[in-house]
Amino acid sequence: MPDTTGNYTGPPPVARSPITTVAAGRGDGALTLTDESSYGKLLVRAAATGPMATALGTRFGRTSRDAGDEALVVGSGPGEWLLLADVAELPKLTEWLEQQAEADPDLVSIVDATHGRAMMRLTGHAAADVLAKLCAVDLSDTFVPDGGAFRSSVTKLVTDVVRDDAGGASTGDRPSYLLHCERSSGQYLWEAVADAGLEYGLTTTAAPT
Amino acid sequence: MMLLRCPWCGPRNVTEFRYVGEKTSRPDPATTTPTQWRTYLYTRANVFGWTVETWYHSTGCRQHFSVERHTLSNRTRPVQENS
Repeated sequence: MPDTTGNYTGPPPVARSPITTVAAGRGDGALTLTDESSYGKLLVRAAATGPMATALGTRFGRTSRDAGDEALVVGSGPGEWLLLADVAELPKLTEWLEQQAEADPDLVSIVDATHGRAMMRLTGHAAADVLAKLCAVDLSDTFVPDGGAFRSSVTKLVTDVVRDDAGGASTGDRPSYLLHCERSSGQYLWEAVADAGLEYGLTTTAAPT
Repeated sequence: MMLLRCPWCGPRNVTEFRYVGEKTSRPDPATTTPTQWRTYLYTRANVFGWTVETWYHSTGCRQHFSVERHTLSNRTRPVQENS
């Protein structure tokens, strides 16, 4: 609840996942869909070639883990980045970003979109086959290698697709894709991907705690 | 399926884009006449052949860009220098 100065004094806000039907699937675990909406998400906009871009260490269409601790920086658009990290890391990450922004002569915006976005991870050897049913982009290693990212229409929904095999390291060397969309569409995307993965034995799981 | 090549994202299904219109030059509002302004707002050449258009990649990079399109074949190409 805000105090007399307008500052929030209660417990930290809870980012609840918009995905409600996290039921265990029938697969053998070789292909999994995990709700990772609880991850912290920061949107950064700045000049595509300025100091902020240099600090973030990646460009449109690629990802990096060089900025901050354990943060995944996604070049989600020209002059646009999506930073994914544990919610507990966000204050430190935001502070670091604000320091970088001060050195940038151009306009920089940093927005915490944790509460407003849904995110899920699709991992498994058949992950690209599942996505190919929903998205027209060529997902071969040539065009979307590990560390690649793009925004496109997935099941007719604007979705950031990030190939992050390292983030799914606990599952072996299988390809792993993060799917990131507006919160209000998260349930729809979840059900569409789960439905597309049925024939491949998809297992749906809740986010690891 | 019609493919359109976005300068940022590469070739994508045209359903990812929004057609903005023929590329026209905007007259100076301070000096233009009502007739010139009306022509700018509403009159289109609607050519048969190659025309320069503006498109918006709404489900991709969210950038506006110019492209040349042949209105009969729907072939597209980057904007030529003399266009």
